[in-house]
Amino acid sequence: MADDFAPPGRLAGTGEYDPASAEFAELRELLLGGERRQLEELRRRLDSLGITPEELADLLPEAIALRAGRDRQLARALAPTVENAISESVRRNPREIATAIFPVLGPAIRKAIAETMSGLVESINRAVEYSISLRGIGWRIEGWRTGVPYAQIVLRHSLVYRVEQVYLIHAETGLLLGHAAAADLKVADADLISGMLTAIQDFVSDSFAIQEGGELRTFCVGELTVMVERGPQAVIAAVVRGPPPDTLLLQLQDALENLHFQFATGFAEYNGDAAPFAGARSRLEELLVTVLNTDRGQRARGRAVWLRWAVPLLLMVLVVGGLMWRSRQRWSAAVGRLEAAPGIVLVGAERDWGRWKFRGLRDPLAADPAVLLAGLGKDPSRIEGTWETYLSMEPELILARARRTLAAPATVQLSLSGDTLAARGTAPLAWVAASASLGPPPGASHLDLSGVGALLPDELAGLERSIEGNRILFPAGSAALGGGAGDGLRALAATFGGLAAGVAGMGYRVNLELIGRADTTGTESANQTLSRMRVDAVRARLVSLGLPAEGLNATGIGTSQPLPAPDEAERARINRSVSFIVHLQPAARQTNGTR
Amino acid sequence: MIQKKICMVGVFGTGKTCLVQQFVHSRFSVKYHSTVGVKIDRKVVPVEEGEVTLLLWDLAGRDGHGDITVSYLRGAHGVLYVVDGTRRETFDQVFELRDIVEKAVGPLPSVVALNKSDLSGEWKLGKADEQALTAKSWHHFTTSAKTGTGVEAAFAWIAREAVRQGSAPS
Repeated sequence: MADDFAPPGRLAGTGEYDPASAEFAELRELLLGGERRQLEELRRRLDSLGITPEELADLLPEAIALRAGRDRQLARALAPTVENAISESVRRNPREIATAIFPVLGPAIRKAIAETMSGLVESINRAVEYSISLRGIGWRIEGWRTGVPYAQIVLRHSLVYRVEQVYLIHAETGLLLGHAAAADLKVADADLISGMLTAIQDFVSDSFAIQEGGELRTFCVGELTVMVERGPQAVIAAVVRGPPPDTLLLQLQDALENLHFQFATGFAEYNGDAAPFAGARSRLEELLVTVLNTDRGQRARGRAVWLRWAVPLLLMVLVVGGLMWRSRQRWSAAVGRLEAAPGIVLVGAERDWGRWKFRGLRDPLAADPAVLLAGLGKDPSRIEGTWETYLSMEPELILARARRTLAAPATVQLSLSGDTLAARGTAPLAWVAASASLGPPPGASHLDLSGVGALLPDELAGLERSIEGNRILFPAGSAALGGGAGDGLRALAATFGGLAAGVAGMGYRVNLELIGRADTTGTESANQTLSRMRVDAVRARLVSLGLPAEGLNATGIGTSQPLPAPDEAERARINRSVSFIVHLQPAARQTNGTR
Repeated sequence: MIQKKICMVGVFGTGKTCLVQQFVHSRFSVKYHSTVGVKIDRKVVPVEEGEVTLLLWDLAGRDGHGDITVSYLRGAHGVLYVVDGTRRETFDQVFELRDIVEKAVGPLPSVVALNKSDLSGEWKLGKADEQALTAKSWHHFTTSAKTGTGVEAAFAWIAREAVRQGSAPS
């Protein structure tokens, strides 16, 4: 073919240049040029017997689009090369890739963070809901009752579905090629289960004489659903707790297709050894998912979220409020007690992080603030007091101080009226005398001891009783002292002297009251006179015996206030008499303590 | 680890389940349980190449004129036929069973267990029968699921054959 045409401009066979032939060549080019070039192109293509890069460049986009539309083989085939290319590019110049993907990366990262945060909030919400709600408490009780961990109970109740196990089974032999199970699940006999799943399939197919292509695809055992997807070489079976969604079947099919593609050689050469299928495990594990019921309506959930927070919040507010109220009550009570306490002047009171601080004045005799505040339930170590000492003029404190300074015995009651301190009751004569000499304690201007009955020491009391036991008797109608009376009066005068000497040591002197009486015989005025005469006679005799006249008060009372006696004659006899009453009086001129 | 599917085939009451129980769990029960459908058990057996896991498909025994369920045989790597040495008819039927199996899944490594050898007084098989097996190039073992005699050997043999067959170029 190459010699069909001579080169243009030369005569065929001669090799010489011929102007006419140049014209011929031109003519030939005009007539046949296109075909000739086509012929040369065809010849070149036949010679190379392959596809040229130019042709490939023309066909490639169309070819890629065509194959990508048909299945995913192209993507799978290209994946390793593309990955290598990218990693190589990153290795050589990371900046290039970083710049290229930056516009995508920023929003993606923001989105990821937002989703993580929302997931976190969601899980906190759920935790709050589960731990505080009635339902959560119920689940805790259930867990405690059944001994199942709380987490599993929560999972069981809030589970929508969970793919617990996935089996990859050799279709023909029923032998296990791969198995994946949830982390908390222990499956010891995966290979037996694999065999039995195959046997069950065979059994069902045989029993119901199912046509080719029909087989057991799903069966339920209690809460578990077993989904089986059959491929030409392998069967994939998923054990699902809870109702599985339709999409799960599609996922299983997709996984099965991928595995068939990925392990095509492995299936072709399978002889019972599952080792070549080790890589399938990660693909099976991808199918293990747990879906919890978080797909409630957004609005309803929004409300529920507030409700969920509201309950603990309300509880917290109540608790905190209650504590604050109680603390406030205690504080007011404490301030009230201190303000009311006599001898305490509260100047400042403040609360500082649970510590109570009081400042003020306190009389040494006032109640101890610690004791006052003891019953309030406040930790005493958290109460501080700064107290300046002062003397309180409050009646309670004046009385307390008086009792202390006077060393008043328990039988004496003290009371304050205006600025006069009055004592009542009975007390030893020595105390009365000492108190009289001490005078009024601070806070009182006068000390009134008149209400105190002074008790004599025993020996002096005996003398007193002896004096008062005397009775000088007179004959009827007479005021003359008989001989016997003279002796009695002498003895009385001696006793009187002893008593006077005894009480003088304690700053007292003795007054003797003489009371003259008469019997009822005769007129009243006569009897009055008679009684007066009798008492005067006795007084005169006692004065003559040496008793001080100013200490002897004589009174004739006639028949008034007669001495009692069981019969008329005896009464008449004992009332014709003069009797004695001893009075003690402070020797110095002072507020008198009498008896 | 290599796994092999081995099917137990035989007439009912020949002791298939008992052989598996003796082999896997080393126990024997005189109580008879008829197997319904299929039971699957597993045992790891040492072979020259290492270890092999045998998945033992204990098929329900052939009952009267009913055939065994051949779909359970699919994909099997070996068959262990079981004959009751005290029931002559079980020996005769083992040849029919072999035909059924080979028709369904093609030729496979197989071995015959002449079981219940502990009942020597009732033994119905003789030298001629064993020669008949050998003539058909059929390996056999005399076994007793009760005493365990020959059980390990029979399973070990089928395990070895199944592995050898699997590794042979096809």
